[in-house]
Amino acid sequence: MSIDGNLKSTLLGHVAVEGWSDIANGAIHPFFNPAQIVVLLGLALLLGRQIPLRVKGPLIVLAASSAIGLGLTLAGFSLGAPIPVLTGIALFLGMLTAIGYGVPDAVILLLCVAAGVSLGLDSGVEKGEPVTIAKVMAGTWISLNLTILYLTLATSNATGKPWAVTGIRILGSWIVAISLLVLAFALRSNGA
Amino acid sequence: MKTKSETSGCPSGGFPGKILSPAIFLALANTASAHTEKGAVGGLESGFLHPLTGLDHVVAMVAVGLWGAFLGKKAMWALPVIFPMVMALGGAVAVLGVPLPFVETGIALSGVVLGLMVALTIRPPLWVAGVIVGIFAVFHGHAHGTELPEAASPLTYAIGFVIATGLLHLCGIAFGLLTKWPWGTIAIRIGGAAIAVIGFLFLFKVL
Repeated sequence: MSIDGNLKSTLLGHVAVEGWSDIANGAIHPFFNPAQIVVLLGLALLLGRQIPLRVKGPLIVLAASSAIGLGLTLAGFSLGAPIPVLTGIALFLGMLTAIGYGVPDAVILLLCVAAGVSLGLDSGVEKGEPVTIAKVMAGTWISLNLTILYLTLATSNATGKPWAVTGIRILGSWIVAISLLVLAFALRSNGA
Repeated sequence: MKTKSETSGCPSGGFPGKILSPAIFLALANTASAHTEKGAVGGLESGFLHPLTGLDHVVAMVAVGLWGAFLGKKAMWALPVIFPMVMALGGAVAVLGVPLPFVETGIALSGVVLGLMVALTIRPPLWVAGVIVGIFAVFHGHAHGTELPEAASPLTYAIGFVIATGLLHLCGIAFGLLTKWPWGTIAIRIGGAAIAVIGFLFLFKVL
């Protein structure tokens, strides 16, 4: 079923491609949302660089929390996490990646909950047929979690090479820099 | 007999066409988006171009990577990790409207000092190098933060800005990898001297 005209304008920052199924349109949503990309990349880099690799728990928590976030939008909770929230989470993720030390499991799980719920809240659909909304959200949920899984495994594969480990830390520092600038912008906007 | 481009159904399918087609699209995109910096793409473009449009910034960014590569493996990767984070801190301070004195002098001095470090093959301990680079990063970040356009999408602007800065560091690192060869070391020292000269020219407002 192609996405209906009414929904096109009500997907929050969603890019709807005419002729694509609702699930596919939901799946591409994270890739057209820069704030979500930064969080996804930050989380995957942090998870992937942990030695030994421990992805099962964090990914289950992420899957559950992103489903909760998406579900909350259906219940009328905030549609769209504010960019400072997403970049604030990205700041922590980037900092922990750039520092390069091992991170306790509890901290990783906490960050997965925060990232999952925020990403879910930021991927809601305002209005449309319930079936269509469910399909779009399912697409987004699958896409978010598969992307994290893929990037985490890709990062983990790179940890054997010293230059790649440092490259991961440099990417972490870039995420910190981006997040800091965006948070400053947000602070200035709120103060203005 | 049909040419390759004819059989492909694309008028620019041949080798030059493959290169030219994206170039044409890029050129068209550039003229169209030059009207405004609003939106995600405008923000990304202006953010990416911002660090590349000032020679004083460019030489200092390249010098960071160059000096890092010159100092050895640890510094080669540590300095480009330190610089963007501290630079963003300086940028954030500027965005929040906190003034910093002697910003332009600090930027010009960064070229002079970092260039001389390379030209004279000065090898301080890693933490000293980190502090030096960090101090200069604050000035660069503050200058960029002050000049940030209001209209740009902040997030994509920041993404473009940080990526461009990082790529300049990588250019310096790539240049610095020439130390493997004796002639490369000489070339790097000459590069360092050139950076220092450019820094001096900015310091004395010749450029």
